[in-house]
Amino acid sequence: MTEIYGWTGKILRIDLTRKKITTVDTMKYARMYIGGVGIAARIAWEEIGPEVGPFDPENRLMIMVGPLTGTLASGSCRVEVLGVAPQQHPPCFSRSGMGGHWGPELKYAGFDGIIIQGRAEKPVYIWIDDGDVEILSAKDIWGLGTYATTKTLRSIHGDDVRVISCGPAGENLCRIAIIQTETENAAGQGGFGAVMGSKNLKAIAVRGSGGVKIARPKEFLSLCLKQSREGNSPHGPKSLREMNISGPNFRRRKCGFCLSVCSGMLWMDVQGEFLPALYTTEQMCYGFNVTSERGRIEARALVGNYGINGWEVSYGIIPWLQLCKQHNLIKEIDGMEIPAPEKPIRYLRDCAPVTPEFLAMLLRKIAYREGPIGDALADGACYAAERLFGGKGKPLLDRIYPRHAGQVEHWAGHWGPGGNIYWPMWLTTVLQWCVDTRDPASDTSHSWTSHVQRYLPKIGPYRGPIPPERIREISMKVYGDPNVLDPSVEYDPPEARAIPAIWHTDMGMVVDSLILCDSEYPRIFSSTSKDGMADIELMAKLFSACTGVDMSMNELRKAGERIFNLLRAIDVRNYGRSRRIDESTIDVGFNYPGKDDGKMLDKRKFLKLLEKYYELRGWNKESGWPTREKLEELGLKDVADELERIGRIG
Amino acid sequence: MISEFKVQRSGVIIFDEKRCVECRECEVACSLFHEGECNPSLSRIRIIFDDFIPRFPSAVVCKQCDWPACYYACLSLHENPAIYIDERTGARVIDENRCLGCGECARACPLMPENPVIKHKVVNGRRVYFKCDLCKDREDGPVCVEICPSGALTYIPANQRRGLK
Repeated sequence: MTEIYGWTGKILRIDLTRKKITTVDTMKYARMYIGGVGIAARIAWEEIGPEVGPFDPENRLMIMVGPLTGTLASGSCRVEVLGVAPQQHPPCFSRSGMGGHWGPELKYAGFDGIIIQGRAEKPVYIWIDDGDVEILSAKDIWGLGTYATTKTLRSIHGDDVRVISCGPAGENLCRIAIIQTETENAAGQGGFGAVMGSKNLKAIAVRGSGGVKIARPKEFLSLCLKQSREGNSPHGPKSLREMNISGPNFRRRKCGFCLSVCSGMLWMDVQGEFLPALYTTEQMCYGFNVTSERGRIEARALVGNYGINGWEVSYGIIPWLQLCKQHNLIKEIDGMEIPAPEKPIRYLRDCAPVTPEFLAMLLRKIAYREGPIGDALADGACYAAERLFGGKGKPLLDRIYPRHAGQVEHWAGHWGPGGNIYWPMWLTTVLQWCVDTRDPASDTSHSWTSHVQRYLPKIGPYRGPIPPERIREISMKVYGDPNVLDPSVEYDPPEARAIPAIWHTDMGMVVDSLILCDSEYPRIFSSTSKDGMADIELMAKLFSACTGVDMSMNELRKAGERIFNLLRAIDVRNYGRSRRIDESTIDVGFNYPGKDDGKMLDKRKFLKLLEKYYELRGWNKESGWPTREKLEELGLKDVADELERIGRIG
Repeated sequence: MISEFKVQRSGVIIFDEKRCVECRECEVACSLFHEGECNPSLSRIRIIFDDFIPRFPSAVVCKQCDWPACYYACLSLHENPAIYIDERTGARVIDENRCLGCGECARACPLMPENPVIKHKVVNGRRVYFKCDLCKDREDGPVCVEICPSGALTYIPANQRRGLK
């Protein structure tokens, strides 16, 4: 057998019902699907049918890393979690990513991922010590928060083990339960913590002392050093060297194995506002709108420890409760008045801050499903709206949740959290929202929104470093169309908005399969290069030097296209995804003026964009289903056959 | 007598805990440069941190002592000692080809065992010790310093080094 570089060559398969531990040969899939999301999509296509619900033992919880995980490549710490996701409304096969140090540790232990199936009879955790894998009793950690779980497992197995776990929220099958690692990093969206809970799986602890073999170490090292010198991630041209890294009670902290400027604040020994505890916890990515700074930090510690999706609580549930109060559906919870502003809430920014007491009460109720309100909110606002107030709160979801699909709108210029993206650039992001199974703003649209906001000459109030006369030229080179980066082009020609939606989605699939970080790749612009462009081949170069399998960026992008088409095929086969569902996204979720530019989406014109998207994708314009021609071109003939058999081929 | 054993001063890598973001790129850069793979357990530098504990990170890396106990241990035990002083950087270097794997250097090191700056590995069935060599033959200096994104690591050449560190 030839030596394998990059990949470890083995994916762990653990059947909790039969207590059987086996391995799958990664290389069987690697050529077509790379790793991470790609391989998991293929396994899902083969193993997860339409009948499988999120909490069924037959659901697969796939926790994946990729060939570049745990290497020097910037942003290589990430893990992708896939399975039928309970937070999705209705549930469907989806994905969520997390950073931290767990993914590289799994790789060093010798695995490219873990497929978990079945359900343990009693609570268990999985202990992976290099090649040795054990299923152990979790009776001493069941019921603990994620922080305490990690500390306990470290006291048993050693300070150097890395742990992912679900908190009480996961155990109680809250649809908004997360999988947490350390104090900040989590697979937040999708509710995969509850999938762990449903399998009676509390945690996975890993220690790995191996490494990732690199096919061409010198080349790989020089690529990474060059990247480090040049900076210029999608996060902007700034460098960490120019930043204040620490203060008396905080330090900046990164996920691990990453060079970009993106970093969180690790607060140390912060006195709790509500509980008499000293918190050491990280804050990044999102925040709570709390009346006090200390309360905000405390909320982050509580939410991580309970294992709740704080993003959903902060940007979805609390605003929705405030809207419900404004519409006289509810006034208080447990005698505590729900804070709400005087003015009607139109955007997230209109919401009122909450007190630490209120937040602590709400989080506890969600994590333990306390009372009818807690029990309903534990499933997220989309499910709660069906159960509470006789369904009267459902229309109030419209602005917050596109398609009521379970996840809060962000990075598409409307509801609010995340960043600001201006007209007409958010048309591209809205297109991505239409066709995805989750909020695409994590892996597929992040690179688009970050880039246009931080580098273009003028988008809204922003002014990036790229000179205006360069824009059309760069646009042509990257996307093969000069209009894409031109903010003066709106709906016409439709390619201008559809091409980047596809390009960034496919690149996102590549990023999720290698696995790198969506905040780091793909790189388009550079403030230091002569032509204003970053090395567009960078990901391909890193992949080739690491694995010794030479692929160009176009070839990798083709793999990304294959992976996204396969995800679409799963969505079509299992859940009847169609154009009708895609289209409903703009009726619910984007049917109001953009938050920063006041621009209203024109449905008639937008549908032209959607049709162009389908056309460029090679999907049927009427049904939104992939065509046989496209699937066969991508080497997915068996997928086409199956879709044809059930009458859903485009 | 003392001067007979005095060795030339070495350059050193210093660590600023207030600037470390615990990304561990130094660890994998080191192992990639020295061993051709990304593997923190083969790295000559390790960053120690625990996000649950309110403390700044610390680095475990050889301090290239003015009076290197590891070097003397090797020198006094072996006819053909494996540890030598690199002329250009002053680094205290273990020659893997000559190392017999006795481990006396690691036992002599005043930082050990709490700070594993001298570690061992198995090469072709032979146990050998390894430690930071300041990437002695690398033109741009230590690779960990170069990759560090936040400026937590600095290389101080021998002639700029002050005090007993």
